[in-house]
Amino acid sequence: MDRRSFLQRLTFFGGGVVLLGSGACSRCGAPAGPSEPQATAPSEPPHLTFTRAEYAVVAAACERVLPRDEDPGAQDAGVPVYIDRMLQTPELTRMRQDFIQGVAALERRSLRMFQVGFAQATPAQQDELLALFKDSPGGSGEAHFFELLMVLTLEGFLGDPSYGGNQAQVGWKLVGFDTVGTVASAPPEGHDGTRCLHTCGRQP
Amino acid sequence: MTKEPVDVCIIGSGAGGAPMALELARAGFKVVVLEKGPHYQPRDFIHDEILNSRRNFFMPLPWEEPHLVRQGTGGRYERTNSAWTANCVGGGTVHMSGYFYRLKPVDFRLRSTLGAVKGSTLADWPISYEELAPFYDKAEAELGVSGEAVPHPFAEPRSGPYPLPPLDVHPMARELDRVCGEMGWHALPTARGIISRPYRGRAACAYCALCGSYGCEMGAKSSTHASLIPAALATGNVELRPRCMARSVEVDKQGRARSVVYLDAEGVEQEQPAKVVVVSCTAVESARLLLNSVSNRFPRGLANGSGLVGRNLLFSSFGESRATFRVSKQRAARPWLTDPSPFVNRSVQDFYLMPDERFGFRKGGTLGFMWTHPNPIFAAVELAGSGKDGVFGKALKDRMRAYRDSRILQFEVYGEFLPTPGTYVTVEPSVKDKYGLPVAAITMDRHPMDFTATRFLVERGEEILLRLDPDDMQRVGIAGETTILQHGTCRFGNDPATSVLDRECRAHEVPNLYVVDGSFMPTAGSVPSTLTIVANSFRVAHGLVARMKRDGAAPAAPRD
Repeated sequence: MDRRSFLQRLTFFGGGVVLLGSGACSRCGAPAGPSEPQATAPSEPPHLTFTRAEYAVVAAACERVLPRDEDPGAQDAGVPVYIDRMLQTPELTRMRQDFIQGVAALERRSLRMFQVGFAQATPAQQDELLALFKDSPGGSGEAHFFELLMVLTLEGFLGDPSYGGNQAQVGWKLVGFDTVGTVASAPPEGHDGTRCLHTCGRQP
Repeated sequence: MTKEPVDVCIIGSGAGGAPMALELARAGFKVVVLEKGPHYQPRDFIHDEILNSRRNFFMPLPWEEPHLVRQGTGGRYERTNSAWTANCVGGGTVHMSGYFYRLKPVDFRLRSTLGAVKGSTLADWPISYEELAPFYDKAEAELGVSGEAVPHPFAEPRSGPYPLPPLDVHPMARELDRVCGEMGWHALPTARGIISRPYRGRAACAYCALCGSYGCEMGAKSSTHASLIPAALATGNVELRPRCMARSVEVDKQGRARSVVYLDAEGVEQEQPAKVVVVSCTAVESARLLLNSVSNRFPRGLANGSGLVGRNLLFSSFGESRATFRVSKQRAARPWLTDPSPFVNRSVQDFYLMPDERFGFRKGGTLGFMWTHPNPIFAAVELAGSGKDGVFGKALKDRMRAYRDSRILQFEVYGEFLPTPGTYVTVEPSVKDKYGLPVAAITMDRHPMDFTATRFLVERGEEILLRLDPDDMQRVGIAGETTILQHGTCRFGNDPATSVLDRECRAHEVPNLYVVDGSFMPTAGSVPSTLTIVANSFRVAHGLVARMKRDGAAPAAPRD
């Protein structure tokens, strides 16, 4: 663990106040390149953040981060829905821009390497490409996008289900969070995390 | 707009500000408390990791309100959210874990005990443990502290038992007691700012396992939000103004503090005149406020004629290792391993001070044992790793399944953080926060002895963990610092040439200005400092009330 990330871990809290670390990184844009042409007609509103084509890439990428095996995977948990919704948070505008640029870069690289879009590539090809992004030099757009993808996927998989991910608490079941002493103190019925992010303690 | 004058304006409602508000209000003085963050209600404290730990519920976003941190004067500043504590009524006491240790007598005279340490600006405190002890008693009683004092070589003197009996602990605590005993060391019950029984109208702990990084919806955690602030408001003499960001402390022609200029919840500039101004925004942010309070009288920042405001910044040295117990492997030997009890609450202080320098240091510290925090996103991000060491796909899911089969015991080291000339806070005029105020910039130049001591303590902790026969042990690090524990930017002392505050935490240069967060501490001790900040604030309040009453509710005129 490098010194800076250790510094930011603030372990004394135990809870990990990481705040999507690299979102703070203003100079880390995604790789430069021509912007992706709009894949869907403006009349189609299937998602909040992504076009239909982008959403397919996001869904495929999340699923490679946490694939379905004997336990549910990212799509089973609703992770793409989580990311699509979460990136609507006004404070995360820069992250949204970086993420969408990263999706476009992933798609471009897939077309160049495999002659098919990322969502149509084989799982082995998708893994190869994601590993390439993951192992890119720290501070590069590729590494930054992979970190965002990883963190948002884990948030969607293991966060409160009210944000749209972790459906049927499949993420909590995978890591055993449902068996430690926190069951009795889950959020109250009807808790809406997305709304709370904007209103808790901020209403007069 | 200029508000009606009040007796005292306090900036910050955490460990430092709240005791002052309570004691001044009890004495009948009119107090305004300005708090940068919102006033959360217990219903807002929801067990939602994304809300609490991963967004700006407590901590500012680093792109809206960054702290700049660099390693040495040659380093590049990084924008971070480190060195913030919670921005809300109650401050860092709301999301603390509540490890409520006292300092020990040696911490008050470290310079005279160790002698000069090359490369360090070590200084004794102008007060003794004995002077602070009655206020430790008061702080423990007012906040509600659960614990059990047991004899050991470095036990600090106490006048009596803790106000509340210790919290229930996991069976693993007994194993720690056993192995430490075998080694001739002492596993001490860790005092906690969490009430084990109903206390002063507050409900007892429900053992939910989510203390650190969460607010306590039971009010069982002894934050100032749950204890001192409600008591202060109940006097009728305190007006609490949340979401008010102090911009500057203004001075009159005589150089006395006159008012606090702040931005209110709507972003409108307001001015609050007061006879006395108390600053308590954390050591980093208090230094920033003083340095940003520039006037003709104080061109280098308020109370900074000496140039010492922001110097001698201290955090707490940090190290950590973890032992993993596989439930499936240990089930026969330890059927109680899956007991959901969240607390281990054991500390080792046998190495608080070393008899000589044979290991390269004298001042050691504290080992605190605990289960790793149950936050699942936090845990999974660590499991995934990053860069070339990172994993995804089936490898990551396998790690997550192994985690499900694990109970992970860790210790944290709280070590001395020696003051150095190279570790300090300044303000950076070229980088402004969302309020348009220059941000705090931290330069770090750690003393090598800190790392030697932390490594030694980590190795002792690992000896203990290994005796517990874990399935795996992992060292997390020996060279960290806990930046939520911050001190020293306005150290107190008797000599205005070497300190910002006098022994009453009153600015040498501004007779009606007090600083009562961790800023006053010339050394930070080798334990979390929250209880010490509260105790000292009660001590300062005691003196200030006496002085204001003696002077007919007017602050004391400058002496000499």
